[in-house]
This record gives sequence, C-alpha cells and structure tokens, in this order.
Amino acid sequence: MARVAIVGVGHSKFGKRSDASLRELAFEAYSEALDDAELESSSIDGSVVCSATHYDKQRSPAGVVAEYLGLNPKPTFNVEAACASSAVGLRTAWSLVSSGLHDVFAVVGVQKMTELSNKEIQELMGRAGDVMWESPFGTTMPSYYAMYATAHMARYGTTEEDLAGVTVKNRKYGAKNPKAMFQKPIGVEEVLKSRPVSTPLKLFDCCANADGAACLIVSNAERAKKITNKPVWVAGLGLASSPMALAGRHGAMTSFEVTKNAAKSAYEMAHVKPNDIDVAEVHDSFSITEILNYEDLGFARPGKGAKLLKDGETELGGKIPVNIDGGLISKGHPVGATGASQITSVVQQLRKEAGDVQVDGARIGLAQNIGGIGMYAAVSILRA
Amino acid sequence: MGFEKFGQVGYISQTKVAPLISYLQKGVVAGTRCKNDGKFYFPPRADCLDCRKSDMEWVPIESRARLVTFTQVFFGPPAFEQSTPYTLGLAEFENGLRVFAPISKDLDRDELKPEMELVLRPRHVGEGVFYQLEKP
Repeated sequence: MARVAIVGVGHSKFGKRSDASLRELAFEAYSEALDDAELESSSIDGSVVCSATHYDKQRSPAGVVAEYLGLNPKPTFNVEAACASSAVGLRTAWSLVSSGLHDVFAVVGVQKMTELSNKEIQELMGRAGDVMWESPFGTTMPSYYAMYATAHMARYGTTEEDLAGVTVKNRKYGAKNPKAMFQKPIGVEEVLKSRPVSTPLKLFDCCANADGAACLIVSNAERAKKITNKPVWVAGLGLASSPMALAGRHGAMTSFEVTKNAAKSAYEMAHVKPNDIDVAEVHDSFSITEILNYEDLGFARPGKGAKLLKDGETELGGKIPVNIDGGLISKGHPVGATGASQITSVVQQLRKEAGDVQVDGARIGLAQNIGGIGMYAAVSILRA
Repeated sequence: MGFEKFGQVGYISQTKVAPLISYLQKGVVAGTRCKNDGKFYFPPRADCLDCRKSDMEWVPIESRARLVTFTQVFFGPPAFEQSTPYTLGLAEFENGLRVFAPISKDLDRDELKPEMELVLRPRHVGEGVFYQLEKP
C-alpha cells in the first residue's frame, strides 16, 4: 500500500474571530502549515476545502478559499461531512495521493460561525436531524446527544458529575492551549450549576460554536522524505455511516455503532489495537460524547467510560491521554476545521512538539470525529 | 403537497408518503407495507428496501411502545421557543420498529424512565397533525 504522510500542519486561533473572514482564517492555517513544512505554495498541487457549508455565507467556499490562498488554477473542491468534514478531507487527500493523481495536497478545514445571528444558528440547529421525521418535533443538536446520555445514565449509572468531569478535564488542558477559545479552567460545581440545555446536558457540557481553520499538508512517501525529517504517517483510516433518523438506529442508545465501525476499519488498516494508542483526540462535542467514545474506540469496556475518566487514565500521564489539547469543549468547534485541528494536535504529539502536554514516547496517535448527530464517524490513526 | 402539515413545524412539503397526513387527520397512525414481500415500514416508506418494489399499502400500527430514551429540551429552535421545556422520546414497538416523537406534557418528566410502557396517539394542533407518546 502506498505510504502517505502529513508533512505540515497549521492552526488558526479558534474562537469568536470578529477580526477575520472565512478566507482569512483559511490563510492563517494554510500559511502556518506551509511554514511548518518549509514549502512554498507553488509546491502544493491541489486542495480540498472542508466546511459544513450551510454555516457559510459564501456558497461553495472552495472557490474563494483557493483563490485567496493563491492556489488557482490547481484543482480544488469542497468536502462536507458535518463535524467530520476535514477528517474526511484527509481521507480524500490520502486517496488522491495514493493514486498518484497528486503529490503534495492541502486539506483546509475552515468554518466561520459567529457572524450568524443567534436566530440563524438556532434555525440551523433545528434542522440538524432528519428534517422529514424528527425536526418537525423541535429537535436540536444537543437533544440527540442528550438522549444517548439519558440512556447511558439509566443503564450504567453514569452521573451528571461524571459528565461534568469531562468538561473539567478538558478545560484544564485548554488553559495550556493558546489557540483555544476558552483558556480558563472550570470547576465541577460551575458545570453542574450552568443552565439546562437539553436534559441531562447543561451549558458547560456543550462545546461552543466558533470560527477557525486548520490545515494539513499531505504528501507521498518519496516527497515526504525530502520535505521533512519528521513525517507523520497515515497508518489507518476508518469512515462509517449510520441512519440519520434516531428511530432507524438499533440497540440501547448507549453507544455509537458508527464510531465502532469506523474504528474497526482504522484499527485493521493500521494493524493496531486500542491499547497500542499512545494519545488520542476524540469528539467531545458534548461531555457525554467523550465518555461514549472511550467505550466505542475500545479504550474502556461498555459502561466503564466514566470510570476510565475518574481513574485519571485519560489525563496526561494516564494509560491513554485524551483531548489534552483541550478538546472541542475548550477549543470551540468551528465544524469544518475540527477534524484537521484534532489531527494537528496528534501530529504535534508524534513529533514530540506538544510542549507542556507532551506524552512521553508517543508513537501512535488516534483522532476521531462524529459527524452531525452521528450519521458519519471518522477515525484516523497516525504513526511517527 | 400537504406533508408540511406534519409536526409542529413542517420542513418538507412534497413526498410520496404524504397520505400519512390524511390518516392522522382521521385519527390513525399508519405505516406502509410492501405488497410484494410484506415488509412493514414505520415511519412509512414509498420504496421497499428489500425488493426495491414501490407498490405499498397503508396499514395502521399498534400503539403500544416501550420508552428507550428521552430528553427535556430547554433551548429550542426559533419556532419552538414558546413551547420550552418540551420532552422528546424514542420508543420501540413490540415488532422492534422505533418511533421518535414528542412525549405528552401530561407525563411528568420525573415519572419518565427507560423501559416504561407508553402509547403512540395521533394529535393535531391548529392545521398541523402529528403523533405523540402518551400514558397508556
């Protein structure tokens, strides 16, 4: 199998970026990735722009992004898989580079969300689910994850304090990440006292909409070795789908089959097992999501996700540090940029460039996204 | 046309299963059954997944269902702001099919727990028709 590497990463500051437009955010991440790879734009032979385009004022944003990055007339196009957009962007780049169609390709994840009014955001949120059978009843993005939380709590005794523990952990690490939206730790009480959004989820169980961009420069093996002495190899990629309608899914609603299926593909392709993973970035769109992900990725047995957290095993120094860049809960969630942001953090860990949160001896890392309300999941496994 | 009447806010107006609206208006919750292989669908489908035939008949569904999970929504989309808090649930019929539906305000949230028995009944509010989960 053709070997494909990530040879450069770039990441804008995430948050309420009222100073910058979509294309300018993309430029920040792209320019940083070029510097990181010590490349000029002329070396990039194509790009994929990953965003959940319903949030963008600009229709078909790859057009303006490629123009602003100076990438015309090379190929460009959009990829959209909701919150998993730029993880799917990596899969797209892998395919294009493995096939030989491209040599050095840019994956640009970008989203501009905060210029939408609250009403526009709420209206979009109201159409997060199946608009024929579920949205007419007033569903919201948090309401879907809240229903998984209710089921997990009823079946396994997971508590609201356990959920709050995810936010407390991630905000502690977010305080060390200068690119995160929230850089202040938070206490359990503050999370528990925050206003209800969709029971049992409260405001601080939820990640925030944000603006931001992250970029990955992806290359074939031959070019990678010339570009950098620290290529990070794409070892495994998994992508799976699930019914969008909640009523179309089976089981106790205490796990995401879609994550399990994506993980199985990625582990098989990389020839590794969950306990081989040294560091992970998982989708913490909501506190409950991180706990479910521990279980669905095989870091904990079913029902034991909260225990893994309470035992400190997902902290720096634990068995499997998770979201020690702060996660979506601290960084904010500029939907299209999130996958590339997670992968950027894993790349930095595998290159031993993660500073205060460096995991000693990290060689194999994993990034996982759930797209939307769970109709897509992407798992990427990287190796130093 | 006509399907925009489904639910509190209809987003879709055109579908082959729009006759559901007239069943709900008559007080019947119905699904579709494939005339070729007998497979039953709820929510209704116009096209059979198994045989790919599109010759369906409408069949009322049994109303008893077991609650799988639920949430009480405090922060809703703009059209639902006046209704908060409201409760949404996922329930399973004896035949294994599931329904996503609002849970009646007559049911106290503190009474709700997974596995409890509920019934699915048609309801209408103004021009809109829908179904909801209620006390048996």
